[in-house]
Amino acid sequence: MNATDISTPHDAPWRAAYDMAGIAPELPPPTHANLAALVHDACSRYAQSAPKQAAFTCVVPNGMNGSLTFAQVDALSDAFAGYLRGVLGLQAGDRVAVQLPNCLAYPVVAFGVFKAGCVLVNTNPLYTEKEMVHQLQDAGVKALVVIDMFADKLPGVLQATGLKHVVLADVTAFFPAVPRAVVRAVQKVWNRVLPPVSVPHERLAHALKRGAATLAQTPARRYWECLGPGDLAALQYTGGTTGVSKGAMLTHSNLLHNVNQMLAMGSTHMQVGQECVLTALPLYHIFAFTANLMGFLVIGARNVLVPSPRPVQNLQRAVENYPITWMTGVNTLYNGLLNEEWFLAYPPKLLKASIAGGTALHQAVAERWREVTQTPIAEGYGLTETSPVVSFNPLSGTPRPGIGIPAPGTQVRLVNDAGDLVAADEPGEIQVKGPQVMPGYWGQAEETAKVLQDGWLATGDIAVMDREGFLRIVDRKKDMVLVSGFNVYPNEVEDAIAQLPSVLEVAVIGVPDEATSEAVRAYVVPNPDHAGKVSPQMVMAHCKKQLTAYKVPRQVIVCDDLPKSPIGKVLRKELRAQALAELGAPRA
Amino acid sequence: MVTEFETKLLGFMMMIIMLGMGASLTWRDFLIAFRKPKGVIVGLVCQYGIMPALGFALAQALGLPPAIAVGLILMGCMPGGTTSNIFTYFSRGVLALSIMMTSVSTLVALGMVPATLAFYSGLAGYEGDYTIPAANVAQVLVVLLVPTLLGMVLRKVNPNAGATLELFGGIMGIAVIIFLVVTWIPRNHQLLLDTPLNVYLGAIGLGLVGMALGYGLARLLKQDPNRSRTIALETGIQNGPLAILIVTLSISGPRQQDVLLIPVLYSLFIVISSSIVTLFFRRASEREALARDRAKVGVLAS
Repeated sequence: MNATDISTPHDAPWRAAYDMAGIAPELPPPTHANLAALVHDACSRYAQSAPKQAAFTCVVPNGMNGSLTFAQVDALSDAFAGYLRGVLGLQAGDRVAVQLPNCLAYPVVAFGVFKAGCVLVNTNPLYTEKEMVHQLQDAGVKALVVIDMFADKLPGVLQATGLKHVVLADVTAFFPAVPRAVVRAVQKVWNRVLPPVSVPHERLAHALKRGAATLAQTPARRYWECLGPGDLAALQYTGGTTGVSKGAMLTHSNLLHNVNQMLAMGSTHMQVGQECVLTALPLYHIFAFTANLMGFLVIGARNVLVPSPRPVQNLQRAVENYPITWMTGVNTLYNGLLNEEWFLAYPPKLLKASIAGGTALHQAVAERWREVTQTPIAEGYGLTETSPVVSFNPLSGTPRPGIGIPAPGTQVRLVNDAGDLVAADEPGEIQVKGPQVMPGYWGQAEETAKVLQDGWLATGDIAVMDREGFLRIVDRKKDMVLVSGFNVYPNEVEDAIAQLPSVLEVAVIGVPDEATSEAVRAYVVPNPDHAGKVSPQMVMAHCKKQLTAYKVPRQVIVCDDLPKSPIGKVLRKELRAQALAELGAPRA
Repeated sequence: MVTEFETKLLGFMMMIIMLGMGASLTWRDFLIAFRKPKGVIVGLVCQYGIMPALGFALAQALGLPPAIAVGLILMGCMPGGTTSNIFTYFSRGVLALSIMMTSVSTLVALGMVPATLAFYSGLAGYEGDYTIPAANVAQVLVVLLVPTLLGMVLRKVNPNAGATLELFGGIMGIAVIIFLVVTWIPRNHQLLLDTPLNVYLGAIGLGLVGMALGYGLARLLKQDPNRSRTIALETGIQNGPLAILIVTLSISGPRQQDVLLIPVLYSLFIVISSSIVTLFFRRASEREALARDRAKVGVLAS
């Protein structure tokens, strides 16, 4: 990585905005050589200053919960490092797949992987057998830590990949004995979600015991001391919905820098040791991984983990029972909360700020959130390839629409199709250079060359930058709809429709059209509180008032729900595929 | 007859059941539910409007003797039973609504049960020996309110203990019925054989007709079919063990046997009739879910 070139260039127009927002423009260099050292230092520091404080608390929907202190997280992750290296005999750089929802096992295992000097391969627990096989094979995984609820996929996966080491964890790992027994009994007898396990495996508790026993001979520190900033920390798979899934290689330096960038963004609203963050997004996704897991650990926050935010009702006990001061989310999550009676009646009293990412935050949602919680919500922008934070909207000052200014230490430029820089307020593709940009895709030199040139990462997202350096996403390049030669950006149309109180969710795509080459089609989910009020005609009439004629949807489809990715991004791709299938056209 | 030890044991089990019921909710849940009170109000109307009137009407229509009729009226005036939550779960109903209705009807029982009981006893013209003193009823309810409120506090302060108790209370609800089957039936099988048909009709009819009326009213008030089915179960399923406890604590001697007859029979038969109804409801829920899925595909394919 270009460790010297991390200060903000002086010609960057957004520099003045840092001062106004109270953000230090210079990014401090990482204080540690690798994530393992960072985790260990943070844990031991807060174990001393706040020995009884919970570092992680996992809350299941009925309110049952378990917690780990900083000291416990440190010791248990040491033990897991000992298990990987001392018991299984893995080497530094070996890949370990972690396929867990948010639960107390996640930090223990993920930190353990870093401490072992191994590479973390975050894996979506909802993956199908085929997807698992692809990812495990592509990454050359040596060991897998998986949630027991999905153990039924293991026989096929193990047969296809030849994987030898499997560790099983459960959602209630490290809960007190009685609630743990109750939840497991309910899972097994009542909900029947615990399949029998027919492959050789080790339970996490047992693995930790064996690992801890090896630490007397080889302290865990030995395994991570030699790790440098340029060493690979994680393989984060991306692009599963757009084609073949590729592993973005994220180094310790990438993630260490991005943690600092994330903290720079929140610094005005964060106090060391005073925060409690609600983690409803899955930690296996890069957004929650860097922001919630790493960032909030560094400032000694309590992390409240919710295994599944769907239905949104699952968050109720977590929000009610803990002094939540921060949260991260995506548009659909914030929108979902704003449609819950319990949330509107008692919004979290101590909340200081929220950040949104992953997908565009609708203006109507942002405004309503500010109104209901009386706290700022800021949209950030990032990609898996950039660990993920690229830019963010400052939390202080008047809220502005858009994705804000580049994070300290990040260079952003907008280019047109010819590769030339565009003028202020002109749309262009975002290109990013900075210490958080990945060195490439795992084993995919060709794919890497397509997106990375001279350290500049081409994002495929179209944005405009105003004269002060504030960015606003116009849309994904591939989502743009071409109506009679005019560009229509689905985000703009969705934003207009989302203003209707009778609309719960909306997605806009382009479909082939004989007259105009493409036509705008909107999928609308009615708000149950306003049942019977949504009709295609009223949506079109509303759009006509808000938008130029060619942007008004020609087709409006009222439906019950929208296809979504694991973190809740609406999958326009799926809708397009469905639309093409029904129109009888070949799939794109 | 029920021995003193059995009465005490029943009282203890009721305490656990109420503790568990209280622990199924927090105080805040009530405040939230009352922001949109329609569902709760429908539930209360079913519980204290329909059911006591139904108990009275059945007693009159079947021509039950006062000593037995008073048991039927008492049964009609009871708050919702906690087992309704279990049946709602199995019938794929709206569990949160069921829990809320049971809890609300229990919390207002202190005022509503003595009032409705006195009203319908008066209407039937029962006096002296054939009444259950309102003060006794209120006393039992006050005592049971303590564990209920304790459970609610516990759910908030220690969700682990609260949720565990909720489950334990649910199991105890079934245990009480089993306890009845095991201890009461063997000693009273002759009584069961001698009991005339109209008493059985009263005990079984209260639950089944209650469910039908609850469903009808809910549909009339524009609740969707799934919520209506939940309200139906909630309406028909009364807190039988509570009625038994009240009788054993308020009435002694040979008269107890007569008054106790319907509450005991109701408690036994409601498990059977609810199970059958649950099977029907579950099938209806599944059919509707399937139809929704089909409609969704249809929307996208059109």
